Amino acid sequence: MGSAIEAINLTKYYDDLLAVDHINFQVEEGEIFGFLGPNGAGKTTTIRMLTGISRPTDGTATIIGYDIQRQSVSAKEQMGIVPDVSNVYKDLSAWDNLVFTGKLYDMPKAFRESRAEELLKMFGLYERRKEKVKGFSRGMKRRICIAMALMNRSRILFLDEPTSGLDVQSVLIIRDLIRKLNQQRLTIFITTHNIEEASQMCDRVAIINHGKIATIDTPEKLKRTMESLQSVEVAFETTPQNALKDLEQLPQVSEVVKQGDKFKLFTRDPSSVLASTWNYAQNNNLKLITVNTVGPSLEDVFVKLTGIKPATAEEEPEKMGHGKAQRMSGREDQQ
Amino acid sequence: MKDVQSSHLGREIRVAWAIAVKDMRTYYTQPPAIMFGILFPFALFLSFSIGRNVPLATQIPILVSQTLFFASSSIGPVVIPIERADQTFDRFLTSPVSLLAILMGKTLGGIIYGTGISIIPVLVGMAFFGTQIVNVGAIIACFALSTLAFSALGIMFASIPGQTVGQVMMPLNFVRIPLLFVSGVFTPIAELPQWMQAVTMLSPLTHTVELARYGTGGETFFGPVLNIAILIAYAVAFLFMGIRFHIMNQRKE
Repeated sequence: MGSAIEAINLTKYYDDLLAVDHINFQVEEGEIFGFLGPNGAGKTTTIRMLTGISRPTDGTATIIGYDIQRQSVSAKEQMGIVPDVSNVYKDLSAWDNLVFTGKLYDMPKAFRESRAEELLKMFGLYERRKEKVKGFSRGMKRRICIAMALMNRSRILFLDEPTSGLDVQSVLIIRDLIRKLNQQRLTIFITTHNIEEASQMCDRVAIINHGKIATIDTPEKLKRTMESLQSVEVAFETTPQNALKDLEQLPQVSEVVKQGDKFKLFTRDPSSVLASTWNYAQNNNLKLITVNTVGPSLEDVFVKLTGIKPATAEEEPEKMGHGKAQRMSGREDQQ
Repeated sequence: MKDVQSSHLGREIRVAWAIAVKDMRTYYTQPPAIMFGILFPFALFLSFSIGRNVPLATQIPILVSQTLFFASSSIGPVVIPIERADQTFDRFLTSPVSLLAILMGKTLGGIIYGTGISIIPVLVGMAFFGTQIVNVGAIIACFALSTLAFSALGIMFASIPGQTVGQVMMPLNFVRIPLLFVSGVFTPIAELPQWMQAVTMLSPLTHTVELARYGTGGETFFGPVLNIAILIAYAVAFLFMGIRFHIMNQRKE
């Protein structure tokens, strides 16, 4: 299997601001590759360079072996793009949106019409094909946008925050679609700040922060490499006032995080923390109602590598002119 | 090799046409296009024509020139900022066509809009005010070259990286409105001082007005050959600068 996407020393400056800092990675054909990072980390800038919208200040990128700058037409023929905003033509019908996309790829009339019909049926929108897209829900617009990206039978699909801001049902539909498309050997490059989504869907993830790639690996391997992020989760029937401080004093506990009525005690040695927590409960006449040992989540890995605390991190606007203002939350639309 | 080049050229033309048709269907009836492309030139014409003791038939070429000027140059500055805001302009940048084909499609949109709107005063003039076309070639040259030059002017201004129509239309109007006063629209060029005549020659709108007058049996101060040559020069210059500015913009993206 060859590389579907290759970024070599890819760099982007906006005046003096270094948005993407000499990044290197490869995405294999047929892979779902997640590009994970907080807003402002350089995800969208990277995707814009990979898709030819933006020119790298330094470095190169290839798409199925074609240089995106020097062989841009051949490279662009291989890809479909779903940006973070559903950039559909609201005053055109669903059908016309797809047919116009076919025209942009210079597809013959019969081929573009049969492909539009096939995709609208696949996406459950064929019955509403004659309606203007401005009357569609956000989830439907997102589906139209993905269908437009697939018009040219692309080999690579770029998805920038595909489920951001959608309702639960639409999120489930789109995730299911992405999996089905990947089963048809479509390579998928997905940027997200939703850690759980990346963990559920991606074969490999790259974590990017401040324009640099912190790590690239499979979600499970990333979790396993972070032994210090194992934890014991406990909840008491009645929570004493000083519980947080007291639990931090327990041996082998590196950090305690309060999550609702639960405490998450991070440790390299869960068994000894279990014992000391039991003793703490006994000594203070507390009744334990929940005790769990938890392996590191991808969110824990993400927090460790980026140094960002999910509870407090405000999203920074992307240096794109299309800034978003959402809260950083890896689990906000977790199913 | 020749086949590859002609198939590439054919593809670029087909895509440019598809973009123009899409723009017609999507943006021609948008309020800013109607406001700046139709109402604006008609309002300006009426405000300067009403009360003047001049036969309406002689005023028709002025109205035609103004609609050619405003309608053709308004489409790019309406369409491109809206598409930037909706991120639909990125669709073109990620599709397998050149920036030249994209901008040609946008220019074509302005040409068709300007032609369509400006034919109306010609027909009204012929039907009701005795306007006669005595030189079809001059009228065709007037329409073809003026819509091309002014549409390219609009595309050039649309390279200003704004996401609202106003961000592009305001600087464009800083250029368009003063041009009205140095183009022999309200005062015959022959009556102007010599230095003013030189300034008038530099305005592309002058040559649209002159060709429109010439085609309807009026006189031209600079002569139709110079009118055509200067309009061609402006069309080429605006197209070239428009493409350069859009490329510079893309580099900054």
